[in-house]
Amino acid sequence: MTPPDRYEPYDEPSQPLMRVDGYRESQLRTPSRPLYKRPATLTEITGPLNLAKKLKVGMNDLSRIKQGAPRAMGQLIWVTGRLLDEDAMPVRGSVLEVWQANAAGRYVHKADSGNPAPQDPNFFGSGRCVTDREGRYAFLSVKPGAYPVPNHPTRWWRPPHIHFSILGEGFMSRLVTQMYFPGEPLNGIDLLLKAVPDEKGRERLVARWTPMMQLERADVVGFEHDIVVRGHRATPMGF
Amino acid sequence: MAHRRVPTPSQTIGPFFPEHFVGGADHDLTFLDDKSKRAQGQKIYIGGNIYEAERLPRWNCVVEIWQPDANGCFAHPNDPRRARADPNFVGWGRRSSDDAGWYDFITVKPGGYADPLTGKPRAPHIDISIMSSGLMRRVVTTLFFPGEAANVQDPVFNAIPDAAVRERLILRPEKLERAPNDAIAYRLDIVLQGEGETPFFVD
Repeated sequence: MTPPDRYEPYDEPSQPLMRVDGYRESQLRTPSRPLYKRPATLTEITGPLNLAKKLKVGMNDLSRIKQGAPRAMGQLIWVTGRLLDEDAMPVRGSVLEVWQANAAGRYVHKADSGNPAPQDPNFFGSGRCVTDREGRYAFLSVKPGAYPVPNHPTRWWRPPHIHFSILGEGFMSRLVTQMYFPGEPLNGIDLLLKAVPDEKGRERLVARWTPMMQLERADVVGFEHDIVVRGHRATPMGF
Repeated sequence: MAHRRVPTPSQTIGPFFPEHFVGGADHDLTFLDDKSKRAQGQKIYIGGNIYEAERLPRWNCVVEIWQPDANGCFAHPNDPRRARADPNFVGWGRRSSDDAGWYDFITVKPGGYADPLTGKPRAPHIDISIMSSGLMRRVVTTLFFPGEAANVQDPVFNAIPDAAVRERLILRPEKLERAPNDAIAYRLDIVLQGEGETPFFVD
């Protein structure tokens, strides 16, 4: 199956505002001038397809430092889903990276050193895989905790979430996003989730809980989360 | 055919992109996993500072580049000249800006090509994306080389009508301390917001 060769501009209300009220960093870093429109050329409709040559892949267990090591504290979760294009075709062979806070709401990162929540020496906290023939990814982790945004006057807490970075099949299908959990009370007040004007757009950021009967294993809580990246293919595979 | 799906909304990369995802030699495009096989072409070094408002250095940005190889080819099915693409060049690199806001890449000078989409010549260029906490979406722009005859015909370079603004995308030859001895060094500072703001394109 050939990669997408046609990319249209994003549907604006389904994507977040760039300047977000109350999110100070967005005020300081968002360009102040309008963006220039450019034609898509070959550079934009191509992208690295052989990144596994460059990046180490096959790390899909965030819940422990290495195989056989003790598990991190927290509720074990199994997160899986499909990477699709705008015609619902699977995006195969794409590098997909995830990272998240531990069960107490703290990251494995030097920039989170001011966080009073405890570190967990058994928590790895990040993973990288390649999507399979069906566009599917899967990883094992612990449910991330919520955490307060430092120095924020209105006591803004980020709801539990997992960060995703997706390379896709072309420069234009690059996507960095976050996955939220269903039924979390903090979802409704999160400034970053609320930055997406369209309600259906916000819903696309929230995973679905997987009924127990549909899970192959009984020791995890399952979540299903499909992700759609931009792009149309000239010759889509028939159904 | 299946019904149309709407792309998932972007969200900020935040301040906690794993350090081991931007470590190693991901900013050096001149080789893959095997250091003995080098990419073809003139080795170049590109470095510069990233600034936020008030010209404050912005550290901890995730910066990515994408470019054709030295002959202007991409190892991608959409490129009709892909058979000629350099097998030792992946065209992609990633770096995080350091505590002083400095980003840099080691790569080869990209070749220009005749663009099949617009029918116009593309001058040598490098697409660059910047992601950071505070950026709800990535920002994207394109870097060009000085003294290239094809710049005046390039459809992306000319998408910026103001010549003075356009010039901000042209790499400047400069002796840079961190450049390898065998590389031609270029500098390009990126101003996310404020005076001398870098022109960015609609993603």
